[in-house]
Amino acid sequence: MIKQVAPAVEVTALRRVFAGGKGLRKRGPEHVALDGVDLVVDAGEVHGLLGPNGAGKTTLCKILSTVLLPSGGMAKVLGHDVVTHTAQVRTSMGIVFGGERGLYGRLTARQNLKFWGALHGLHGKQLRTRVDALLDRVGLRDRADDRVEAFSRGMKQRVHLARGMVGDPALLLLDEPTTGMDPVAAKDFRALVGELRAERRTVLITTHDMVEAEQVCDRVSLIDSGRILATESPNALSEWITRFERVDALVPPELVSRLRTLPGVGSVSTSDDGRTRFETTEEGVAAQLVRSLVEAGVTTVTTSKPSLEEVYLHVFGGNGMAVRR
Amino acid sequence: MHFIRVFQAGTLNAFADFAATYTVRTWTFAWLGRIIAQVVFFTLIGTLLGSPEQQRFLLVGAAVMAIVGEVLFACASSTWERRAGTLPLLVASPGSLLAVFAGRSIQWVPSSLATSSVCLLCVGPLFGVTWSVPSALLLVVVLFVTAATTYCFALVPGAAVLNAMDLRNIVANVIGALITAFCGAVVPVSFWPSWIGWAVNALPVTHGLRAVRELASGGFDVLPHLGYAVLTAAIWLVVAGWLLRRLAERGRRDGTIEFGD
Ligand SMILES: Nc1ncnc2c1ncn2[C@@H]1O[C@H](COP(=O)(O)OP(=O)(O)OP(=O)(O)O)[C@@H](O)[C@H]1O
Ligand SMILES: [Mg+2]
Repeated sequence: MIKQVAPAVEVTALRRVFAGGKGLRKRGPEHVALDGVDLVVDAGEVHGLLGPNGAGKTTLCKILSTVLLPSGGMAKVLGHDVVTHTAQVRTSMGIVFGGERGLYGRLTARQNLKFWGALHGLHGKQLRTRVDALLDRVGLRDRADDRVEAFSRGMKQRVHLARGMVGDPALLLLDEPTTGMDPVAAKDFRALVGELRAERRTVLITTHDMVEAEQVCDRVSLIDSGRILATESPNALSEWITRFERVDALVPPELVSRLRTLPGVGSVSTSDDGRTRFETTEEGVAAQLVRSLVEAGVTTVTTSKPSLEEVYLHVFGGNGMAVRR
Repeated sequence: MHFIRVFQAGTLNAFADFAATYTVRTWTFAWLGRIIAQVVFFTLIGTLLGSPEQQRFLLVGAAVMAIVGEVLFACASSTWERRAGTLPLLVASPGSLLAVFAGRSIQWVPSSLATSSVCLLCVGPLFGVTWSVPSALLLVVVLFVTAATTYCFALVPGAAVLNAMDLRNIVANVIGALITAFCGAVVPVSFWPSWIGWAVNALPVTHGLRAVRELASGGFDVLPHLGYAVLTAAIWLVVAGWLLRRLAERGRRDGTIEFGD
């Protein structure tokens, strides 16, 4: 069990500005990646950072992990300032990011973990025991002595997670850890995050997958354009996911105009190939729409979950639909 | 202690990379063969000049330059780290970057020790460079110190090219050529203007080469040369550590340490 001081992450008015333009002469307009972020992650919490591409999730993770300096504001990890007390921050934190990179392909899984364990000051028996335990835990015991370059995406990601854990961190930063994983691997991964919670480790996990955020997090902060829009419970997310469901079908025009007026039907658009998309704004309306369509003889009807952007537009984008509590 | 352990951990990568590059056969026939051919080529220039003394001078010079050429591969192998996408993780870890990078490219030290030893001890006698048993044993020690100290120097360009990865081969080649020209391999250092002679004293290989020449001429007074080689190497090591820290600090400011991509 990990003993922690509360809060695990404390971010106040955090800003990060990047010089504009590419190459040697960075002359273009400045780009604001983080625009006054306030965030508190309690010890032992699994906190989601949910936001679309370019929202600033990775930028925040980089600052917390001490590889990027803030342009303003303050960030503390386990009570240590990430600008001035890097040594303390670095020993108490693990980082995992998604994708193929960050592993040594020519080393075996065991060697990878040994390497990073040594960087965290482990050696001898302690290192061996820790590495063995982690390999067991992420289900790689049988492949421990195979080179990582031959691993599948999901297996590499497990090595990544084990690597992030090798220093026995009180805080884990997971930056889109399930990118590129197949659904089964992603499910296993979420189960592992559940175990981390049981050990009272703090986890900050970024994602643009609402379902993932809903499933693994205790609280979710919604971020866009470098600002935290709200911090919600997973329940709020699941409610949005059903409330803003979409229905797609090939619908005759007169039926479209009739259904358009149903309460709870939001925007309706017809694409070039004749398919119409209904976006709903209330729970249960999608099911009602599907029923009406089938009754009217429309056979190919599909429903889908709203994209994060759509939910953001509905909830925060105004046009009168936002229902804020 | 932590530094040494991280260094050792770094050598895992060095030897894994080495094993991926060579098998015993390709190392022996392709790499060692190539180095021997190169050394013989230089030596034959001396033969053509009709001077046995030139011939011996060039053989020793070329054999030691083989060390330089090989440890400068550290420029390339340092950048492999960046290609692996591990730099953010290294910077965010409690270990020393210098220790990691010092371990990372160490494979070139034993490899170049082996090639240069074979060139001097096996090829040398064919061209009049002969060794007594004690001098042969001492030679291996001297070559090891030369390779290890030159490697410390090579970590400096290795660290420098981390921010200019496209330049890694050009930098290694230019430095290799300058060392070959000015450090006493093909002509004595005294051939050049005195300021050059002064400047090349900052390089460990200059002193290592002097020690090898001392042994080749039948002397045993190598200790002062080795002392200078180690001293200069220590300074270069500090410079490499400073460059790596600067790389990390600059990356933290301008955001060039990329996460995951
Ligand atoms: N090194 C950099 N130089 C310039 N601009 C940058 C840099 N890093 C990030 N940005 C910009 O900052 C903004 C936030 O980027 P960030 O990577 O934090 O987003 P993200 O939420 O992680 O997105 P994604 O879901 O695509 O990973 C983006 O507009 C991006 O273009
Ligand atoms: Mg990102």
